[in-house]
Amino acid sequence: MYKRTLAWIDQRFPLTSFVKHSVADYPTPRNLSYWWNFGSLAGIALVLQIVTGIFLAMHYKADVGMAFDSIQHIMRDVNYGWLLRFIHSTGASAFFAVIYIHMARTLYYGSYRAPRELMWWTGQGLLLLLMATAFMGYLLPWGQMSYWGAAVITNLFRATPFVGDYVVIWLRGDFQVGDATLTRFYALHYLFPFIIVGAVMVHLVALHTVKSSNPSGINLAAKDNIPFHPYFTIKDLFGLGVYLIVFSVFVFFLPDTLIESANNIPANPLQTPAHIVPEWYFLPFYAILRSVPDLAGGVVAMGLSVLIFAAMPFLDRSKIPGGSRYRPAYRMMFFLFIINIFVLGYVGAKPVTQGTALLGQFASIVYFSVFLLLPWISTREEKYLRERGLPPELETLIKDEEAKKSERRQNNRRH
Amino acid sequence: MKQRLILTLLFLTFCGVANANEAGLDLEKIPADSVSILNGAEHVVNNCVSCHSLKYIKYTDMLALGVGQATVDAWRGSNPVNAKILAQMPAEAAAAAFGGIVPPDLSLMAVAREGGVHYLYSYLLGYSVDAKGDTVNRIYPATRMPDILAISTTSDVKLREEIITKTKEISAFLNWAADPHAEHRKQLGIYVIVYLLLLTVLLYFWKVQIWRKLH
Repeated sequence: MYKRTLAWIDQRFPLTSFVKHSVADYPTPRNLSYWWNFGSLAGIALVLQIVTGIFLAMHYKADVGMAFDSIQHIMRDVNYGWLLRFIHSTGASAFFAVIYIHMARTLYYGSYRAPRELMWWTGQGLLLLLMATAFMGYLLPWGQMSYWGAAVITNLFRATPFVGDYVVIWLRGDFQVGDATLTRFYALHYLFPFIIVGAVMVHLVALHTVKSSNPSGINLAAKDNIPFHPYFTIKDLFGLGVYLIVFSVFVFFLPDTLIESANNIPANPLQTPAHIVPEWYFLPFYAILRSVPDLAGGVVAMGLSVLIFAAMPFLDRSKIPGGSRYRPAYRMMFFLFIINIFVLGYVGAKPVTQGTALLGQFASIVYFSVFLLLPWISTREEKYLRERGLPPELETLIKDEEAKKSERRQNNRRH
Repeated sequence: MKQRLILTLLFLTFCGVANANEAGLDLEKIPADSVSILNGAEHVVNNCVSCHSLKYIKYTDMLALGVGQATVDAWRGSNPVNAKILAQMPAEAAAAAFGGIVPPDLSLMAVAREGGVHYLYSYLLGYSVDAKGDTVNRIYPATRMPDILAISTTSDVKLREEIITKTKEISAFLNWAADPHAEHRKQLGIYVIVYLLLLTVLLYFWKVQIWRKLH
């Protein structure tokens, strides 16, 4: 019965062939480490957010007089409403944690390099969509931090040349953040995740075209691939189990740690909170924004700090393929970058004093220097490594890489 | 690699610990048992609801908590049983009495201040009489709230003990009021995590078994 139904469908829709080609038999490098689990975890995080979000939307009211109360209604009266709410609020943090680790893996192993540039750029687009979605979602509880965070960040658009003031009013729907802002942010917060789903599909099509990179950073021979199923389906499932345990510890025992206490006070446009702080996943960029004393300068610096990731395929000028495996200087810069991000995060969380301002400015300079010095450092490192002699397996792999590259170039010319 | 990871984690732990008690809060353990919460409910309705509302708590929630029907009927007066618990003093009168500031709603007070329930506890016991004879609060100096529990004017040791117990019970009740499902959430959490641990261990062994097929 099942076989006949499947055969009926397969005559009209490539179901079995698609699953076989793109999931079950899909060739994956056999040496992928657990750092490669985070892509699928991001997909799970997205699904969880959408499902909990839809059920929350059945009870939430996007009106300045009702929003805060509707969330208390969800927390107290809706059956398991508290669970929906905490999964959704914790899930946002979990989503960003997974994405940042996913990005760190890509940077460390050089998975953004040719031919995976489009994967990196679609990923960039996904990050921007996620940040916008999270920012708009944070306004919805209509707490003190929701309101004032939105007021501060929408105000930044005043930096737009010539039409800045009009852009801010257009964005907010009113002269200040209010009912108009809340309504449109709700509409867009519901919409954007589905745009993200579409962008994820583009991201996965790009992945299936070039296939995964691997911890050595160098394209392995075809014989070193293994089918995705059962090896990586079970590995992803195990990784999901670990993720859900950590996630559940936060949802069931520590949900309040991720909710700023000021956000449990209804928004009051006449009273500014003592410290306006965004959620932890925005802190490094917030620190960079505050490091520049001029509004337009701060906005440009913050925007560049997110967008500069896109330049990575061009900034890395080393001919040694892959990421940190065979490149000690690149590895050092990576770890310097990570430690600096934590410093920036600390600065972003603290109120502005002379000490934190100085530290923030220093850390912002380090942040951009890591990117801007990469072209010079990568070429110097390559020269240094070649002088000392590359390990033989690397030489062979580089030769194979060059051969494949010239073959790709020939194919492009033919087309 | 591992060394760097450990160093980073130590650094982060230090940051967390360093922040723990800048405000000088009293970190006394607040009870979470139902007796303390019920006593706290009585204290709050008898002492606080004259000026503060508890608008996310209904009288039916009090009944569900375990407060007796007679007590709840006495509290609600002519209000229906599913009415929200509002302040007895109307807002305008309260604002006039306290310099333009309406006493804030208490439903979420246990989570609406840095330090949570410890803030509440420290605040209520934070009153003292200064050199000039004014009553001041060391936790929130700008407060307009009088020293309702009279901690600043009580010197008798036994009476002070009673006030401290009362304050613990008030904090316990307000902690419940901010998140009534907390107990259920934690119980459910235990079951969920035990289940996930079992599942993950099984998935691990299955993964190892499948990967053994590779040479």
